[in-house]
Amino acid sequence: MERGVVPWDSPEPLSGPLGVPLVDLLDRVLATGVVISGDLVIAIADVPLVRLSLHALLSSVSERVPAPWADGGPL
Amino acid sequence: MTEWGLEQASDGSALYVFAVCKDPEPAAFAGLPGVTTGERLHRLRFGELTAIVQSVRAADFTDEVWQVRMSDRDELGRYARAHHEVVSAAAASCPTVPLPLATLYHGEKRARQALLDETERFRAALERTADHSEWGVKVYAAESPVPEPGSDPIPPPAPAVRSRPAPGAGLAYLERKRGVQARRERRHEDALRLAETVDAAFQDVAAAGRRLRLHSPELVEKGHVQVLNATYLVAKHRAAELGALTGALRATTGARIDISGPWVPYSFVGEVQ
Repeated sequence: MERGVVPWDSPEPLSGPLGVPLVDLLDRVLATGVVISGDLVIAIADVPLVRLSLHALLSSVSERVPAPWADGGPL
Repeated sequence: MTEWGLEQASDGSALYVFAVCKDPEPAAFAGLPGVTTGERLHRLRFGELTAIVQSVRAADFTDEVWQVRMSDRDELGRYARAHHEVVSAAAASCPTVPLPLATLYHGEKRARQALLDETERFRAALERTADHSEWGVKVYAAESPVPEPGSDPIPPPAPAVRSRPAPGAGLAYLERKRGVQARRERRHEDALRLAETVDAAFQDVAAAGRRLRLHSPELVEKGHVQVLNATYLVAKHRAAELGALTGALRATTGARIDISGPWVPYSFVGEVQ
């Protein structure tokens, strides 16, 4: 999994297409800032669907690590 | 970059909207590919604001196509980065409200009307995020080995007679079980407390904060457990405080704290009324 940590004092803003961890980018570009709804692609704003798809997609390419909390996470 | 008068699309095209801006510089977008090839980015005026848009083939942006795209990591990454690139270029040149990935309209007329209807919200979002940036903060607790359910966390004393449990073996087993449960609860509480501590400290500096979903364990580096994935809207003149704050929190909590930014404030444009 790519996880380039951007240091706080990085002189460059997170503007380039490279260097931003995909998972952090997706946290932001997928429906978190919904102001309006478009005409097409209604289902992409459907959060459960997004989560499902993302889970399938991201876990398929990352090293499988057993969940540390069997009860679904610390929070 | 042009502002042409394409009317209602009947040619199978749709209009992809990246962001809404106040007085964008056309030069800021020169040479950016956007999300499709062969179509330049252009500006769509609506009232006093301007959307950054691109004409795309509607067939490339249907629900079905997105379902497939969402399950192809490279493809999704390409679209997310192309979108982010345009949004970032806009934000670097003028006050900008980023729109989520894949906001599409059937044509310019539809888009202009829909955007006009939301002008007040765009204006409020611009006001809220002016001179602010978004900063991501992720906190990880060290993962302590968790015994598998049913396995013994403490090796039992070598039994002399295997066939018959020693007196008190049942009680010892129960106590071990209770110990595992207590440790798990303690860890859970520690994680919550750590998340609260860091969140509270950043909230003090930020104008607003939001908790994002935690990343699934598969995405987190082995040996770490993500306990906080949050994002904060921070005034630009206070951004310099974040480094010292992060350092101090690392020192007091001992936790790994990753901070990223400045982001275009994606997470803080949607909730304004």
